Amino acid sequence: MLKKLKELEDQSRQSIAGVNNLAELKEIKVKLLGKKGALTALLRSLGTVAPEERPGLGREANILREELERVIELKESSLRDLVKAGQWEQERIDVTLPGRPIDSGQKHPLTIIIEEIKEIFYGLGFQVAYGPDIESDYYNFEALNIPADHPARDMQDSFYLNPQLLLRTHTSPVQIRVMEKLAPNLPVRIIAPGKVYRRDDDATHSPMFHQVEGLVVDRDITFADLKGTLLLFAREMFGSDQKIRLRPSYFPFTEPSAEVDILCVMCGGKGCRVCSNTGWLEILGSGMVHPRVLEVSGYNPREVTGFAFGMGVERIAMLKYGVSDLRLFFSNDLRFLKQFG
Amino acid sequence: MYVSYNWLLDYIDPGISADELAERLTLSGVEVGALEVFGPSLPGVVVGKVNSLEPHPGRSNLTLVEADVGTNVLKIVCGAKNMQVGDKVAVAKPGSKLPGSRLIKEAVIYGASSSGMLCSARELGLELDAEDEILILEGTAVIGESVDEILGFDDRILYLELTPNRADCLSMIGVAYEVAALTGRPVKMPPLTPQEMERDINKIIKISVEDADLCSRYTARAVQDIIIEKSPLWMQIRLLKAGIRPISNVVDISNYVMWEFGQPLHAFDLKQLKNSEIVVRRARAGERLVTLDGVERELDPEILVIADGAVPVGLAGVMGGKDTEITASTQEVLIEAAGFNPINIRRTARRYNLSSEASQRFEKGVNPEAVIWAQDRAALLISNLTGGKVLRGLIDQNMSISQPRRISAKPERINEILGLTIPTDEITAILSRLGFSVQQEENGLLNVTVPVRRADLVLEEDIIEEVARLYGYDKIPITLPRGKLLENRETREQRLQNLVREIAVSCGFYECITYSFINPSSLFRLRLPENDRRLQAIPVLNPFSEEQAVMRTTLLTGLLKVIQHNFSYRELNQMICEIGSIYEADSLPLEKLPVEKVKLALAVTGQILDPNWISPSREADFFTIKGTLEFLFSRLQIESVDFIPAAMPFTHPTRSAVIMSGGEELGFLGQLHPEVAEAWGVNQPVTVCEIDLAILGKQANLVPRVSSLSRYPVVNRDIAVVIPRKISASQLGETIKEAGGGLVNQVKLFDLYEGRQIPEGKRSLAYSITFRSEEGTLTDAEVNSAQKNIEKALFDLGAVLRS
Repeated sequence: MLKKLKELEDQSRQSIAGVNNLAELKEIKVKLLGKKGALTALLRSLGTVAPEERPGLGREANILREELERVIELKESSLRDLVKAGQWEQERIDVTLPGRPIDSGQKHPLTIIIEEIKEIFYGLGFQVAYGPDIESDYYNFEALNIPADHPARDMQDSFYLNPQLLLRTHTSPVQIRVMEKLAPNLPVRIIAPGKVYRRDDDATHSPMFHQVEGLVVDRDITFADLKGTLLLFAREMFGSDQKIRLRPSYFPFTEPSAEVDILCVMCGGKGCRVCSNTGWLEILGSGMVHPRVLEVSGYNPREVTGFAFGMGVERIAMLKYGVSDLRLFFSNDLRFLKQFG
Repeated sequence: MYVSYNWLLDYIDPGISADELAERLTLSGVEVGALEVFGPSLPGVVVGKVNSLEPHPGRSNLTLVEADVGTNVLKIVCGAKNMQVGDKVAVAKPGSKLPGSRLIKEAVIYGASSSGMLCSARELGLELDAEDEILILEGTAVIGESVDEILGFDDRILYLELTPNRADCLSMIGVAYEVAALTGRPVKMPPLTPQEMERDINKIIKISVEDADLCSRYTARAVQDIIIEKSPLWMQIRLLKAGIRPISNVVDISNYVMWEFGQPLHAFDLKQLKNSEIVVRRARAGERLVTLDGVERELDPEILVIADGAVPVGLAGVMGGKDTEITASTQEVLIEAAGFNPINIRRTARRYNLSSEASQRFEKGVNPEAVIWAQDRAALLISNLTGGKVLRGLIDQNMSISQPRRISAKPERINEILGLTIPTDEITAILSRLGFSVQQEENGLLNVTVPVRRADLVLEEDIIEEVARLYGYDKIPITLPRGKLLENRETREQRLQNLVREIAVSCGFYECITYSFINPSSLFRLRLPENDRRLQAIPVLNPFSEEQAVMRTTLLTGLLKVIQHNFSYRELNQMICEIGSIYEADSLPLEKLPVEKVKLALAVTGQILDPNWISPSREADFFTIKGTLEFLFSRLQIESVDFIPAAMPFTHPTRSAVIMSGGEELGFLGQLHPEVAEAWGVNQPVTVCEIDLAILGKQANLVPRVSSLSRYPVVNRDIAVVIPRKISASQLGETIKEAGGGLVNQVKLFDLYEGRQIPEGKRSLAYSITFRSEEGTLTDAEVNSAQKNIEKALFDLGAVLRS
């Protein structure tokens, strides 16, 4: 009897292992463990053995039953996995196919830079002001302490519309317009982005380009405040490890005046071709508002002081995005514009 | 201004290297744009003496030279003929290298061996004339020594990029004063006292200034017995370092002295001056003058001239005249050093397009002290270098002596403005280093006396800048402005523009920025009729080109140019936009500031998505832009916008509309007329739109107003009708809403069909209608009744219902 049990076990294990689909497995299960199955038949024949052997054999038979049930279950689950796997394969996608195209546009890179500049100065409590592209000689030059026949007019070659009206050569006229409107109220704290025009046209000059002007007028505004404001700007725009360097310079509407350099964005200050091995790149002009400019705009230079700065947007965009030809910004070539989003 | 470092040593010893000097000048406001080596050192090129000259046995155009180079005598074959036995010349020994990496080797030339080369100026890297001539060195040159020192090689040139206020640095002596302020070293003046002969200058020339308003001072000296020839090599090389072309001794000396002191000089051939007279006066109408460059100039009373007893002989301060120029036969010269009105010089130079080193100095202002220095220095150099004899005396007409300016400055204010706390002693010390004299009053005020060379300093602020730049901008602390915060960081117009841009971009448009000036002919390409306002474009008086000749009156031409550009690069599918100003003059010619109106323009062509494997592409057409506009209107909560069929001069006659809102014309939208598209080189449909942002702004809610959510469910019903094409979609939509009697919440067109199965001249439209009541849940009966009314109204319009 024991031998028979052993034979049955071996036989069953073999046939279960050999099965490769669920239906066959079910058949085998019935054949073995069903009401008419082989093991059931064996158990029934227990009556024919000696009574003292019965409990031992019964235990053995039950152990075998449990064992077979376990093996079948294992087999069943592995067969089920196999079936599932087949289904998965049916549903396979090629994850390397390109994604569904999104038809979004993008802002012009100069707009992106202007918005970035605005954000930085909003954080410092600045407002935004605008002025017209077509300006009078008075706002563009006279009020900014650049009288007719002054050599400083050579610094900016202008496009004229009539002897008194021209395309503004810088955003500085907005300084005057804003102060005229606000005087004698304090503080004045504005930036003024906009288009400006000069008779220049090559890889680093365009007859039209963009500037952002800045102006702060209040009691006790110092040159140190200008320095702090510009350092903060440079770090926000070009990275928190940026440094600035101020060099004395000359603008008729500021005194003292300074050109402002940042560490070269290409080499980090070590010196390279882009920065002519100086480690520095000039990014803007600035200074303390000239007393005559305050005066013509309605403020008393004995009571208030101010600082002003002006930066070229294209210059900043070129440094930030690594653009080497300024004219690309105005080509509006979609191959260029699409690189910004 | 080019400054040779070695030349500068004549006036000051800075005690620091050229590199360090350049750095310190830049950081104190005299920017050194570049620092370059002059003449790379030429180690194997030495002074040689020509011992003998023999004709080459085989070639008559060559010479055999024996040159003593100290250590030995070299036999050299030479092609030039200008050297003589005894001349000192530059000999490139075998193995040496000349500029341009030219290596000198032993060679056999037509049978004669040649060990080295005699060099011309050009072969040594000097831009002197006489290309084929061997450079003859001065007799004092020491045989066998390197030529570097004689030729002034191994020097550094500082290229100063001066701001217009620093005219004082347009001279070596001015730069020396600046260097003195930086280093504390003393300035040395060059020798200034010429030896004079007995003969008095007043005996040979009479000088008068008629127009004193334009000539603040006129001085003259005369020199006789001059031999005009090349100036000595050292002077020619110094002029080369200054960027000036050497010409002949007298002219070179006047340029050399101008470089030293910043005072322009002019030399006349005295014998050519008629009546032995100089008159400084305004030109007379009709007078003419041939200037040194050979160009005949028409003159008038705006122009100040130097005249002799009869005719103009020079444009004052700008350029001399041809007839009185120094020539090889000149023996007597009159040296002019004068002060002219900067504005008049500037105008004259601009008018004749004759900007010169002299005119630039006069425009920016010359140190008044330098007039006499320059006269004496030039006379001294001419007598030393040309053998000329200086006549006794100096004529000084209209002499005016500039007084040094006194400026008051408060130490507290200096500190207040700079954000510093420098002690008064230090401020005084800084100002003294600049050569200013400073006296402190009892109340602390500093009385600063500024030398006349610094005419740029007028106000207390100017003194503050001097203190700041010498104290060092790098030492000024870093703080942030304090004070009140401001609200309203942007105006409503600005926020509207930002919003419009965001929406256009999110709808797939790439933002462009095009020039504000356009080609006027592009407006004609839009086929605008003569009375169209857009043709009244403001002309630019001095444009670069016709492409930039007038201010734009529409954004369209700019965007079409962009489409054309991209189209030429095979970019057939484009969606672009621009937000920018157009310029409208009240009348032309322009009298006052024109109106600048901000517009949004959109343009599309081709397909919306490039062909791809997963998403279908759509035509970029009229409805693409209309969808964008509708999205924009909906975001701005503008409800009443009408698209009214109307043809523009540049649009497809039946595919364009004007857009009306709040009774005003907001803009237009339309497919471009095929001929117009063709004019921009595009042979596929292009659709464009331009709207006025100020008008849009009047209707817009920038902040969305939210309505409460209904508690009752909606009921949807679909209705399809076949209807004559002449009934517009908007008319149908309105009819449905009205007939629905307030229960219609939304009407959506979900299908449009024309073609097979639909009768000619008709089309089928299918609407999904959403019903809702604010009072309660709608019953079937209520919806049915509303639907009946709608069907009736549609029937009245001529519709046939489809089921």
